[in-house]
Amino acid sequence: MRSKLAGLPLSHKISGIFILANLMTFIVDIALLLSINRMSVDMEGTYRENSHLNVMLEALDGVQRTMTEYLNSKSTDSLSDYYMSEQRYSELAQELDVKVSDRAYDRMERNIHYMSEDYLGMVSRTIEAKRGRNVERYRVSFEEATRKYEYIKAYIRSLNEEQFVSNSVKYTNLARRFRKLEIFAVVVMFAVLFSSAFVITGIIRNLIQPLGALAKSAGEVANGNLEAKLPESTNNDEIGRLTVAFGKMMVSIREYIEKLRMSMEKERVMQEKELMMETHLKDAQLKYLRAQINPHFLFNTLNAGAQLAMMEGADRTYEYVQTVADFFRYNVKKQDELVSIENEVDLVDNYIRILNVRFSGDIHYDQQVDERLLKVKMPGMILQPIVENAVNHGIREMGDKGHILLRVYRDEDRVFISVKDNGKGMSREDIDKLIGGEWRYEESAGDSNGVGMDNVIARLKLFSEREDVIQINSEGKDMGTEVVISLPYVNDTEV
Amino acid sequence: MRSKSIIFPILSIVFAAAVFAVAWIYFRFISGTDADEEPVKNYSRYYAMITDDYKSSFWQYVWKGAGEAAEDKDAYVELFGSNLSYDYSTEELMEMAIAAKVDGIMVYGSGQEELAGLINEAVEKGIPVVTMYSDIPETGRCSYVGVSGYNIGLEYGRQILSAKNEMQRLAGDMEEEPKASYSVTVLVEEKKPLYDQNVILSGIKDSLEREEAEEEFIIRTVPVDNSNPFSVEEAVRDIFMGEEVPDIMVCLSELDTTCAYQAVIDFNLVGAVYILGYYNSEKILNAISRSVVYSSLAVDTQELGRYCVEAMDEYISTGNTSQYFTADVTIIDRNNVSEYINKEEPYEK
Repeated sequence: MRSKLAGLPLSHKISGIFILANLMTFIVDIALLLSINRMSVDMEGTYRENSHLNVMLEALDGVQRTMTEYLNSKSTDSLSDYYMSEQRYSELAQELDVKVSDRAYDRMERNIHYMSEDYLGMVSRTIEAKRGRNVERYRVSFEEATRKYEYIKAYIRSLNEEQFVSNSVKYTNLARRFRKLEIFAVVVMFAVLFSSAFVITGIIRNLIQPLGALAKSAGEVANGNLEAKLPESTNNDEIGRLTVAFGKMMVSIREYIEKLRMSMEKERVMQEKELMMETHLKDAQLKYLRAQINPHFLFNTLNAGAQLAMMEGADRTYEYVQTVADFFRYNVKKQDELVSIENEVDLVDNYIRILNVRFSGDIHYDQQVDERLLKVKMPGMILQPIVENAVNHGIREMGDKGHILLRVYRDEDRVFISVKDNGKGMSREDIDKLIGGEWRYEESAGDSNGVGMDNVIARLKLFSEREDVIQINSEGKDMGTEVVISLPYVNDTEV
Repeated sequence: MRSKSIIFPILSIVFAAAVFAVAWIYFRFISGTDADEEPVKNYSRYYAMITDDYKSSFWQYVWKGAGEAAEDKDAYVELFGSNLSYDYSTEELMEMAIAAKVDGIMVYGSGQEELAGLINEAVEKGIPVVTMYSDIPETGRCSYVGVSGYNIGLEYGRQILSAKNEMQRLAGDMEEEPKASYSVTVLVEEKKPLYDQNVILSGIKDSLEREEAEEEFIIRTVPVDNSNPFSVEEAVRDIFMGEEVPDIMVCLSELDTTCAYQAVIDFNLVGAVYILGYYNSEKILNAISRSVVYSSLAVDTQELGRYCVEAMDEYISTGNTSQYFTADVTIIDRNNVSEYINKEEPYEK
């Protein structure tokens, strides 16, 4: 029942309330109307008996008069008049009740009823005697009838008086009751007025209350409080549905804002990363620049040295000087952009060549490079520092037994670049420290181009966004070290 | 909120129900019934009691006794004519009662021939008639209920003797010569049948003879015309204004008694004239207690009424009844007057 009520449309509910209020008023009105009607019927009835008796008295007079007329004139008209009045009076007399009760006018009615019968009998005997011309008899009968007529008249008058007194009492009572009814009616009307006002106010407030709660929530939302408490919906009417819709809308907005916030967060992270990458690069460049003394002057000097060597026919010197010049030029040029693996491999070649001149060809260097992968892009200044690291910390003290193997290969969608040495190896802790970026070591100024492993690892991580972009494997002390870089394979022909 | 939303529909239903209930209650209990209307009791028989003066408390008491007896027999006794605006004579009321076909008539047989004819007419028309207090024996009436005139006479005789003794005692106290003879005046009603009054007078005489004191009294009767309302009073005054004022005055009706005692007061003869009254109206009882009236003879009026109804009922039920019923008579004097003073008055119309 309740859920049915709650599910009704708003218009039905409001109409229902007004119908209810009107119905209450209607019932009360009808009740009062019936009451008043009943009383007016009673009032009308109060003196009805009196008027009935007056009618009777007239009819009785009629009988007596017409009889007398007939006795006087013996005319046909008076006879027919007599019959009519006799009929009329007889009917009226028959209406009187013959019961005997302790109420005086009941008994009087009864007496009048029988006395009237007696009188009418006497009258008709008188008329008959007159028709039969029995003068003596009709005279006696007439006298007797007249006496009885007087008795009845007296009786009717007395009854009339009796009833008038009783009716007056009744009328007074009735009037008093009527007054009471008036007061009662006023009280009831006011009761209905106030109660229906109270009930209607209550119901309307009850109906509108969810709307108010909704408006309050909406106001809060409008003021920017998206976390405002959403009103509960209990009814299934328009307001209820509106509340539900509003709630859903608010939830959607919150979700959307959350999504937006997350994507902004992501973007921020990205920007941060880019910024860090740049910072690292700048750091590398700074370190490099710090390490060089006017590189152009150095290139030119080296070129002059190379030309001198060529002119003197010292081909190896020429080649060496040329290689050194290329190495430094690369360092100067290629640091802030993506380069191909080929460039990096060339740089490593140059570096090894330089080192071999320095160290009398002690470093055994091998390449196993998949030529197809040479165009794959990667950050610059990565491989050379790794190889440098392998030389400086791996095989430096091994003399001519040191061996470095550079491999470039592909495994499915990834390109691997491996730099493996057979040097003194690394402990697990050192590897973890190095990859975790916590490693700090003194760079030997003479043999480094100034770019440290930490820088390399950080840049690679930023580039690939993967933690496992670089792996360092060492099977133990003197068992060598392998550094493997993993890059995404992108078909460079398209680039 | 959940509970609140259910409150108002329920409240409104309750309210509507309350309005309905109030309206219903109003109809049922306030508007519908007439609080002043007493329940009407119906009877199967209707007797008319016809007297010469329905207003007298004597007849009122008789009527009361009759009414109480009739109540048990599912009959109603009406003091006929009491509801009419005019006062009608016994005969006229008889005519009305006959015309009204009452179930029975109890009539005070005031001894006129016309009444006798009417009693016979009623009997012819199948209406039984009981005469009361005063009989008309030569009619078709089924029964007579009254008091024994002879007994009344004997009682009056005893009271006359008692009054004489007191007078003699008082005279002795005053050291006066007692009177050789005492005059006794008996007021007789002109209209009342002579037969009845003669019976009373012979009762008085017999009572005096038994005491062998008849010589001491000179008894005379004074007829009183009671045909019109004021003639009794005049007649009584005439006696007091006459040359010989009686020592003892015997009144045979309530009105006679009342007039006599008023006259005794007016003529300053209290103590000189001994009034032997009749009936126990309030005035008479007060007069006895003040020693203005020596004693009064009271008929048991309620018993009289009861006998009337019983005779009537017996006659209607069995077709026969005793011809003669006698109601008790008691003497009220100074010694027992207080018992009667506070008795309940009958319904006055």
